[in-house]
Amino acid sequence: MASRFSGALQLTTLDDFITPSQECIKPVEIKKNKVKTGTKIKIQDDGTYTEVLEGGPTTKLEKVEITLADCLACSGCITSAESVLVTQQSQEELLKVFKEKMDKQKAGESNFKHIVVSLSIQPILSLAERYKLSPDETALKLSGYFKSMGADVVLDMTVAEDFSLIESAKEFVERYKASKEGSKNQLPMLASSCPGWVCYAEKTHGNFILPYIGVTKSPQQIMGSLVKYHFADLKGLSPEQLYHITLMPCYDKKLEASREDFYNSLKETRDVDCVITAIEIEQMLTQQGKELNDFDEAEIDKPFQEQDQENSTILLGHKGSGSGGYANFIFEYAAKNLFQLPNAKLELKSLRNPDFQEATLEKDGEILLRFAVANGFRNIQNLVQKLKRGKSPYDYVEVMACPIGCLNGGAQIRSQDGAQPRELAAKLENEYHKLPHSDPELNPTVQKLYKSWLDSENSDKAQSFFHTQYHEIEKMNPSISIKW
Amino acid sequence: MGVLELIQSLEGHKGRVWNVCWHPSGETLASCGEDKSIRIWMHDKSKWVIKSILLEGHSRTIREVSWSPCGNYIASCSFDATVAIWDQKSGQFECNTTLEGHENEVKSISWSASGQLLATCSRDKSVWVWEVTDDDYECAAVINAHTQDVKKVRWHPEKDILASASYDDTVKIFKEDTSSSDFICVATLASHTSTVWSLSFDKTGNRLVTCSDDQTLKIWHQYEPGNEMGIPTPDNEPVWKCVCTLSGYHSRTVYDVDWCKLTGLIVTSCGDDVIRVFREEDDSDVHQPTFSLVCKLDNAHTQDVNCSQWNPVTPGLIASCSDDGTVKLWSYSD
Repeated sequence: MASRFSGALQLTTLDDFITPSQECIKPVEIKKNKVKTGTKIKIQDDGTYTEVLEGGPTTKLEKVEITLADCLACSGCITSAESVLVTQQSQEELLKVFKEKMDKQKAGESNFKHIVVSLSIQPILSLAERYKLSPDETALKLSGYFKSMGADVVLDMTVAEDFSLIESAKEFVERYKASKEGSKNQLPMLASSCPGWVCYAEKTHGNFILPYIGVTKSPQQIMGSLVKYHFADLKGLSPEQLYHITLMPCYDKKLEASREDFYNSLKETRDVDCVITAIEIEQMLTQQGKELNDFDEAEIDKPFQEQDQENSTILLGHKGSGSGGYANFIFEYAAKNLFQLPNAKLELKSLRNPDFQEATLEKDGEILLRFAVANGFRNIQNLVQKLKRGKSPYDYVEVMACPIGCLNGGAQIRSQDGAQPRELAAKLENEYHKLPHSDPELNPTVQKLYKSWLDSENSDKAQSFFHTQYHEIEKMNPSISIKW
Repeated sequence: MGVLELIQSLEGHKGRVWNVCWHPSGETLASCGEDKSIRIWMHDKSKWVIKSILLEGHSRTIREVSWSPCGNYIASCSFDATVAIWDQKSGQFECNTTLEGHENEVKSISWSASGQLLATCSRDKSVWVWEVTDDDYECAAVINAHTQDVKKVRWHPEKDILASASYDDTVKIFKEDTSSSDFICVATLASHTSTVWSLSFDKTGNRLVTCSDDQTLKIWHQYEPGNEMGIPTPDNEPVWKCVCTLSGYHSRTVYDVDWCKLTGLIVTSCGDDVIRVFREEDDSDVHQPTFSLVCKLDNAHTQDVNCSQWNPVTPGLIASCSDDGTVKLWSYSD
């Protein structure tokens, strides 16, 4: 089976001769009881291990569980994380949560979790292509599907994407100014929304690269804050009473949702409880013997919108790349706010391969800004090497771990007719650009939330809800590895 | 039967010698090993002598060295996860470029025929292709096709087609996909029952020989779409078929194999300290070829033979190296 992680996460640091199931190098904490000698360990017929004390009782030994948080804190493999994810953020887990809720509701209990689902645009387009529906129909059918299982609210993520773009653009302008004043490690600013890239940078390049990565949260995690700390308020609920599911284009997003930074230890709740992907939705439907088309449409909820706001559009896209249009928005924002050039357009040219593109902002023959879009692991390498050699000419780079970007995410549905990933992604991109565009700065919901939720645009609250941090992971050298 | 005659034993490396590589002119030999040095040997009047020792390029064992087709560069790869490119612009060999990116031990390195592409592979299971322009090296592809340690990469003798051998028991063939200018796996050669340690194309590039921990050699033939044998070629990609297995000759792991581009002879390096030479029989059918062992030199080295390579200019001249710390030069004659 092809991995649903991005390529960046598939490299490991482990020994040659160890297969994935054996390769975890995380030291295990062993609870020591009183000193015992002469115990034997027996393997039972069902494969469980039991400890046999001399002359008597047998105790079933517990399996050591490695949590996803352990995996993320380790410099070792990432592939074992895949099996951990399967249990913690799987379709089975999702179905279990839905069932529990429905059961409790039926029994008249009131302590059930309210279930909120947030849909990102890339998997919607993937499912639309798979089931031959329009993107809008797909969103409405998905809403119908989730609600039939017990979801209370189904949201689209445009507002979180808009926040992420605006906050990233503001961060870029600040970094640019700081850099001009002589502050180091400000530029190039590197995109922060791809968790595959962030995780790779933390594990492999540590404090050399991390200062360059923007601290603005990804749309998924902004949505997490919005749902758990604003929507919950609106509903008179506490964050842990909500179960938040996001629909995403890759497994790397599961890793992101599991980061300690997005866990509230006081309330014991994550901003995003479960990430589900296009390919898993397809599997769930197939297991039920259904197609998405079989479900009734239900509306996409708009709890943050003004009552009188026009409600005719269902889905919105953004100008620029299918990964969220970061380079495009930040370029135009910076041109306007740094150089008073309100009509600048990002015109990308491919370099050696189509996944590394470059654009400049020029005025009177002078280059003011140099932007790039680097997709896929090979271009991440080229970018990192350029930075290391001090040869990066860029001010901003939109970095995504998957070739082509998020429309070709690792957990998007593969082509049904054998078309190459690039052809399929081009199709999805075409659909993406047909969507009406959201203009983040003119989105009234964004303006409203800055006031009603965050007090103001630059409040401490906005800072804490929209920004995150990164952590260098030091390389562990497993003692078993032989150094020639 | 043929005869292998020892010309000279080259001493100097401390510890095992992993690899030898002939300069394209055939007049110079590079070797590398556990002592983190690259040694360059030249023929001087009557005997081979050390010409230079390259140090300080790597912090761990140097696994392989490779001369660029133009003969001006040496690329070396190491267990320190890096690749070093050495040039002699200053008059002597110096490492002026280090390629980083592999997560851990880099096992093999190979220049394409044009010298414009460089391939590397690693214990991290990936195969990388680097694009060379002037003295600039850019990563053109990172291929995660193998499921285990990749032991060897070798380019087709003329085309930009790459083959890799792995601990996952397979050989994979890669070529560039023009739409993305990325390298993709176009064929998987599965038949060996254990680690494939090395491979070598014949002079046409239509055939491959592979060697394995399963103590066999296998000959593979490429069938193009529309081939006369009527062998189906799905997706219009050439298909590689195993047309011959040479078993019963080697008593331990076969670590290396080299198919001579001048004579068509095949030389193998084996963990039983023996160097063997195979010749294709005159009446051999290309679709079902037959090879015979024409020379078997016991105790060619006192320990594992790691690598043997035919000289690209002088027919019959072989350089070999071993865990016993020596490099040996041999002359093969029928």
